[in-house]
Amino acid sequence: MTPGYKRVSGDAVEYEVFARKSRVEALHLVGSVVAPDDDLAMAYARATYDEERWCEMAIVRKEHVIELWQPGEA
Amino acid sequence: MSLPDLVLSIADNKQMLGLRYAEWATRAPSLEADIAAAAMGLDDLGHSRVLYGCLEPLGADPRGPERESDAGSLRNLAYFDQPWSEWSQFVAANAILDTAFTVMIEACVGGSVEVLQHRLRKMLMEERYHFLHGRSWLRSGIDKEPLERAWREAIEFFGPPDGETETLRRDGKLSMGPAQQRRRLEEQLEARAPRVDIDWKAWDPIRRRTARGAIDEHTFGMLRGLEEKKYAPTAAKG
Repeated sequence: MTPGYKRVSGDAVEYEVFARKSRVEALHLVGSVVAPDDDLAMAYARATYDEERWCEMAIVRKEHVIELWQPGEA
Repeated sequence: MSLPDLVLSIADNKQMLGLRYAEWATRAPSLEADIAAAAMGLDDLGHSRVLYGCLEPLGADPRGPERESDAGSLRNLAYFDQPWSEWSQFVAANAILDTAFTVMIEACVGGSVEVLQHRLRKMLMEERYHFLHGRSWLRSGIDKEPLERAWREAIEFFGPPDGETETLRRDGKLSMGPAQQRRRLEEQLEARAPRVDIDWKAWDPIRRRTARGAIDEHTFGMLRGLEEKKYAPTAAKG
């Protein structure tokens, strides 16, 4: 993938999707979706990543994730 | 019109809604919307299977042999008779008709019939995501024509104010009658239904619609498995 590539266009924003299969497991990143609002992002996340029996799923706007460092910077 | 008749109508409509959603699985405006169309299609086809499975426990299965030869015997709304050519038609069906079917299922789950209380509850959870999808796309703005048509057919689906659906409510089998269902749909969508004049005398209580007609030949053939035969090896064709 081209560095800096963004699938987002127009009013849409990117959301990270987190899920876990059991309570003892931590939430982990399973993928991302692009949507213009939170409602549609929820519907898309559920439709796209529903192949597993998740006990919890959550989404967060990628712009709200605060990065401490990136690969190669540590 | 009995409760099994109503359940069969919901089942046939969910089946057709699922098929029409699936037709858009590669034509929606974005990859995510394609996937959502496919997923919602699968959900609704699954819901129709559950609903068909409720007919026997309800004590009377109204499905007759005519369903094999007469597309007009299927109980789907006219909105599903033809494939949709515009994304607006998809959105109006998703936001209004899919939600209207959910409202009817809520009325079944809230009613006194145990098999419906238990078997239909999970559908309500899955339908939450259909609703979020439909409402969000609806807010982005769509053409007026499919919107008004979907509202009209939703109101027809709920039935006349003093008809047998209302009797099922009075008997406790449904928790909401047509008037409450319409209000619930309006609350959900945060919108008032447009003014529609329905000729209830022309309304078919079995198919829950006033318009004549039936699903297209190709879709009917697919439902009966005839389309599959076209692609079968010659020896297997019977």
